[in-house]
Amino acid sequence: MSDVALAVELDGAERRGGFWRRTLRRLIRQPVTLAALFVLAVVLVAGALAPVLEPKGWNIIDLTDRWHNHGPTIHGHLLGTDNIGRDVLARVLWGIHSSEQTAIVGGIAATALAALAGLATGYFGGWLDAVVTRLADLVTGFPVIVVLIAVFVWLRPVTVWDATVVFALAMWPFGARVIRAQTVAVAAEEYVAAAQALGASNRRIVFRHLLPNAAGTIVVTLTALVGQILLIEATAEFFGYGVASIARPTLGNLIGEATTSGIGPYNTVGLGWWVWASPMVALVLVLACVSLVGDGLDAALNPRG
Amino acid sequence: MAGLVVKRIGLAIAVLLALTCGSFCFFAWLGGLGRSPGPSLLTLYWRWLRGLFDGSTLHVFAQPMFTRNFTLQGVTMLQALGHTVVLLAYALVFVVVFSIGLALLAASRRGSGLDVGARTLAYVGWAIPGFLLALLVQLLVNAIGGPRGVGPFPLAGWPGSCPAGIGVNSGHLTPCPAAGSGIRYVLNVLRYATLPALTLAAAFVGVHARYLRSTLLDTLARPFVTTARAKGLPERRVLVRHAMRASLATFVGALFSDFGAMLGGALAVDWVFQFNGLGTVFISLFPIDVGTVDPYLLVPVLFLTALLVIAASTLGDLATYRLDPRVRRVE
Repeated sequence: MSDVALAVELDGAERRGGFWRRTLRRLIRQPVTLAALFVLAVVLVAGALAPVLEPKGWNIIDLTDRWHNHGPTIHGHLLGTDNIGRDVLARVLWGIHSSEQTAIVGGIAATALAALAGLATGYFGGWLDAVVTRLADLVTGFPVIVVLIAVFVWLRPVTVWDATVVFALAMWPFGARVIRAQTVAVAAEEYVAAAQALGASNRRIVFRHLLPNAAGTIVVTLTALVGQILLIEATAEFFGYGVASIARPTLGNLIGEATTSGIGPYNTVGLGWWVWASPMVALVLVLACVSLVGDGLDAALNPRG
Repeated sequence: MAGLVVKRIGLAIAVLLALTCGSFCFFAWLGGLGRSPGPSLLTLYWRWLRGLFDGSTLHVFAQPMFTRNFTLQGVTMLQALGHTVVLLAYALVFVVVFSIGLALLAASRRGSGLDVGARTLAYVGWAIPGFLLALLVQLLVNAIGGPRGVGPFPLAGWPGSCPAGIGVNSGHLTPCPAAGSGIRYVLNVLRYATLPALTLAAAFVGVHARYLRSTLLDTLARPFVTTARAKGLPERRVLVRHAMRASLATFVGALFSDFGAMLGGALAVDWVFQFNGLGTVFISLFPIDVGTVDPYLLVPVLFLTALLVIAASTLGDLATYRLDPRVRRVE
C-alpha cells in the first residue's frame, strides 16, 4: 500500500520500514502525545466499560441519611451523590459511555463520508466538485449548532443512536474540504499522470494512489471530527436539546442539568460543586487529549522539514 | 471589482432565499401548516416573503420577545442582532490584538517559555467549550467580586436589564441599574460586554496565535527576509514591517473562515451571560419538552444569522483583497 510513499526521499534512519512503521517511530518520540493517548485510553475504556463497572445503571438512588446530596467519598460514593441521591461517578461513567459512542461512531461515519466526497470531488472535479464544494462552504460557514438544535427538536425524544446518525450526516462537510485539498494536491503529482498514461482505471488510481496518500490527512480529520462532535453535542445538550438526562446521561446533559439548577451566582438549589465539576473535568480532559493526540498524529503523519 | 460585488450580492440573495424557503417550509410543515384543506407551504412562504416588502410580516423584527431565561424583558430581534454584533466585534478586537501580540512574541523567541505558554493556551482554549468557559468565568467572578461582578464589569446581563439571580429577580429588592444615555450608555455597553467578549475571544486567541506563529516562521525563512536582515534592519522592524505584513493576508483569511465557529460560540456565551442576543432569542424559540417552533418567529432569526454570516464572509474577502495584491491581479 505504501510503495508510493517509499519513493519519497528520506534520509538514513527514516528510510527504513513502511509508512506506518515510520509514523509509529515518529509518534514514540513525542512524550506529550503519548501521555495524552494514555489518559484518553484510560477515560474512554472506563466509559466503554460502564455497563461492567456500574452494572446497576445510572439512576440508583441512595437514601442513606436523607435524600439530600452527599459529598465525595461519603457513604462509599467516590464522587458523592447529586441532589436526589444518585451516584455521580456512575452518572459520569455512563455519560462518557454515551458521549464517546456518539463521537467515535459518528466521527468514523462522518470521516468515511468526508473521504468519499473529498476523493471524488478532488479527483474528478467538474460539476460534482462545484456543487459539493459550494454546499460544504455553505454548511461550514453557518453555525452548525443552529441546524442541530432544529433537528434535535424535530426528532425528540432523541436517543444516543439518533444523535450519532445526525452528527455523521451533519459533520462530513468539515472533513471533506480538508481531504479534497489533499486529493487535489496529490492528483497533480506526476505519478498520477503516469498511471493515467499507462491506462489505469479511475478506480485503481483513487484506491491505489490517492487514498494511501490521503490516509494521513484522513486520520487527522477523524480526530478533529471526534473532538468537534464531542464539543458541539455537549453544547446542544447543555441548552437542553438532544439526548435528555432522564433518558440517558451524557457529559453535556449532566453539565446542563447541574448548572441550570445552580452554579456560582445562580446557586439556588444547593447542589454540591462535585455534581457539576465531575462531568466538566471529564469533558475537558477528553477534549484536551483528543486535540493533543490529533496534533501529535498530524506531526507524525505529515512531517514538514 | 464591480463584477465581484454583483456576484457576491447575487450569491447572498440566492443563499437567503434558499435558507428562508427551506426552513420556513420545514418548520411550517412540522407545525401542521400546509395540510390539504388550507393553502400550500409555498403559498404561505410566498405570502411571508411578500409581507417583508409590504410590511405585514416585517413587524416581527421590532416586536418584543420573551426569553426562556426569565429576564422578563421584551428584547426585539433587531436589538438582539445589535447585542450579538457588539459581542462579536468586541471579541474580534481582543482576538486580533492578543493573537498578533502572542504570535510575534512566540515567533521571535521560538522555544522559550512564552512560546510553550502560548501553545498551552491554544490547547486549553480549544478544549474548553464556550458555554463551559462562560460558566467558569462567572464562577470565578462570583468568587472574587460577588453577584455584582468584578469592579466595573458586571457578572451578566445587558445595560438596563435585570439578569436572573441578580437584583429584583433573585428576591432582593435592589433595583435594576439604569442603562444611561449618550456616551454613558456606550460606556455601559462596553462594561457589560467586556467579560463575555473576553470569554468568547479566549477560545480563538490560542488557535489564531499558533496559526499566525507558524505562518510567521514560514515567512521568516523566505529570501526577502534574509535580504532585509542583510541590509542591517533591526530585528523588530524585520519582524513587524516585513514578515508580519506578508503574513497578514493569511491570518485575516483564517480569522474570517472561522466565523461560523465564532458565531456558534457567541450564541452559547450570549445565553450564559444573559446578554439577550440572537442566541438567547434563538434558544427561547425552541421548546425543550413539548410543542413546536413558530416559523414566523424562527425564520426571521435565521435570516438575521445568515445576514451576519454573509456580512462576515464579504468583509473577509474585502480584507484579503486589500491586503494581498496578488488577489487583485487575478481579478
